[in-house]
Amino acid sequence: MVDKRKYVIPGDVITTGPFRPEQNVMLVGEKIIATAVGISEIYDDSVKVIPLTGKYIPKIDDLVIAKVNSHTSLSWELDINSCYVGFLPAQDVFGRDFSAHADELATKLKTGDLVAARIANFDRTRDPLVTISDRDLGKIDSGILIAISPSKVPRLIGKRGSMIQMIEQATNAAVTIGQNGWVVVSCDTPEGLLKAKIAIEMVNEKAHVANLTDQVKEMLDKKSES
Amino acid sequence: MASKTVLDELKRTQILELLEQGKRIDGRALDEPREIVIEVNAIPKANGSAKVRLGDTEVLCGVKIQPDKPFPDVGDKGIFMCTAELLPLSHPTVETGPPQAPVIELARVVDRGIRESHMVDVSQLVIEKDKSVVGVFADIVVIDYDGNLFDACSYAATAALLTSKSPKWTMVDDKVTIVDGEESKLPTTTIPVSVTMGKIGNHIVVDPNGDEWDSMDARVTITTDSDGNICALQKGGSDGFTLDEMVQCGETSIRVGKQIREKLKAAQEGVQ
Repeated sequence: MVDKRKYVIPGDVITTGPFRPEQNVMLVGEKIIATAVGISEIYDDSVKVIPLTGKYIPKIDDLVIAKVNSHTSLSWELDINSCYVGFLPAQDVFGRDFSAHADELATKLKTGDLVAARIANFDRTRDPLVTISDRDLGKIDSGILIAISPSKVPRLIGKRGSMIQMIEQATNAAVTIGQNGWVVVSCDTPEGLLKAKIAIEMVNEKAHVANLTDQVKEMLDKKSES
Repeated sequence: MASKTVLDELKRTQILELLEQGKRIDGRALDEPREIVIEVNAIPKANGSAKVRLGDTEVLCGVKIQPDKPFPDVGDKGIFMCTAELLPLSHPTVETGPPQAPVIELARVVDRGIRESHMVDVSQLVIEKDKSVVGVFADIVVIDYDGNLFDACSYAATAALLTSKSPKWTMVDDKVTIVDGEESKLPTTTIPVSVTMGKIGNHIVVDPNGDEWDSMDARVTITTDSDGNICALQKGGSDGFTLDEMVQCGETSIRVGKQIREKLKAAQEGVQ
C-alpha cells in the first residue's frame, strides 16, 4: 500500500524505522534520507523517491529510443540519453555467424541512425547491453524525435496508456515512447505531426498539473476545429 | 567541442526537406538571423563588456585595457587582441582542457574581423613610441551553445569595444603612470559585422542554429565594415561554394550586416 507521499529534497528525512531503502534514498542509522528531488513513497516494507528530474537510468526490459554514435568492428555505441552508453553487439544484428572480417557494421546502422531498442542487461557496473532483435524494434526510418524529461515519461503514457492513446487518436500519429525520454512521432499529415508534437511538449512542461489529460484534450480539440 | 555531436538522421532529413520548400526548421526566412539581444556593460569592473544572445547562443565578452610593450616591428601602434573560450557548461560535449581547433578558429575569425576592419584605431594607442603602448584585450567566453558562435562572439566583442572606457597613461621619469580621473572612449573608426552563412545541400542559410550547424556541408563567415566593404572572410566545411553562391553570400552579408549594425549602434547609444 502506498501512503504518505510528500515532496522531498536531498537530505530530507523521509521516515525512520525498519524499511528497505530503494531508489534515491539512503539509510543512515535508523533514518531514511532522500538523495534526490522528488516525491517520496513509503510502501509496506520499503521506501523510495520518484525523482522529478534527472538523467535516465537504464532498467532491464525498458524500451528506449537510441541514436547510433559510433561503432567498432564488433559493436555499436548508442546514445540512450543516459550517463551510460548503450552497447549493441554486432551478433545481435548479423546473427550468430557474424564475422568481423566479412561483415561491415555501417551497412546496417550508421552514425546518426535512430533505433528502437530494448535494454537486455544492465547492472550498473558495466554499460547497458542493448538489443534490437525483437518485434517492433530496429531502425526508425521516419518521423521526428522529441526529447522530454525521462522522469515525465509515465505522465506522457498516462494511466493504462490513456494519455498517449488520446494523443494518437486525435492526431492520427504513431508515437513510440522510449523510457529514456526520447519520443518518435510519425504521422501522414504535417498538421497531425505538429499537433502531436505540441501535445507531447505540453505534457513535458505541465507534468505536475492536475487534470492534465483534460487540458491536453481541450488543446487537441481546439486545434482540430481551426 | 560541439562538432562532436551526432545529429540524428531524421532531423537531418527534416531540415533538408523543409529547405526544399524554402522553409527552415525554426520558421525563419533563409536570410533571417535569430533575435539578437545585446546587453552592454554586463561586467561592471571591466573597461568594457557585453553579453550577447543570438537565439539560444549566449556569449560574454570582457575588455581589458592596459599599458604594454609594443611589438618590435610596429612600435608606433598599440595592441589589439581577441581570444575566445568555450565553457564546459555551454554544451554537453565541451570538456575542459586546452582549446581544440574549432575554438582556436573561432578566436582567430573574430579577431581578424575586427582587426582587418581597422575598427580599433591602434595608431592612437601609443604612450611613447617604441617604448610603451596601450593594449586592448577582448576576451570572450561562450556560456550557451546553439550554433553560430562566430557571429555571436563577433557582436559581443564589437559591442564591448564600442562601449569601452580607456584610462589615460603618460610617461613620468621613464615610467608609465596612470592619469587619475581621466577616461576616454576607445578610439574606434567603424563597426564591423560578421555574417555567417551555412550551405546545406544547395541552400544557403544565414545564422544557422545548432541543428543546422551540425547538418551543414560548408560555411562562410564574411565581415563587412560600416561602409559596406568586405574586410574579412573565412570559409569552413568540406563542401565548396560556386562563384554565384559566393557573390550571393557577399551581398547577403552586406544587407544583413547593415540591419545588425543598427542594433550594435543602438546598444552603443543606449549607454551614452
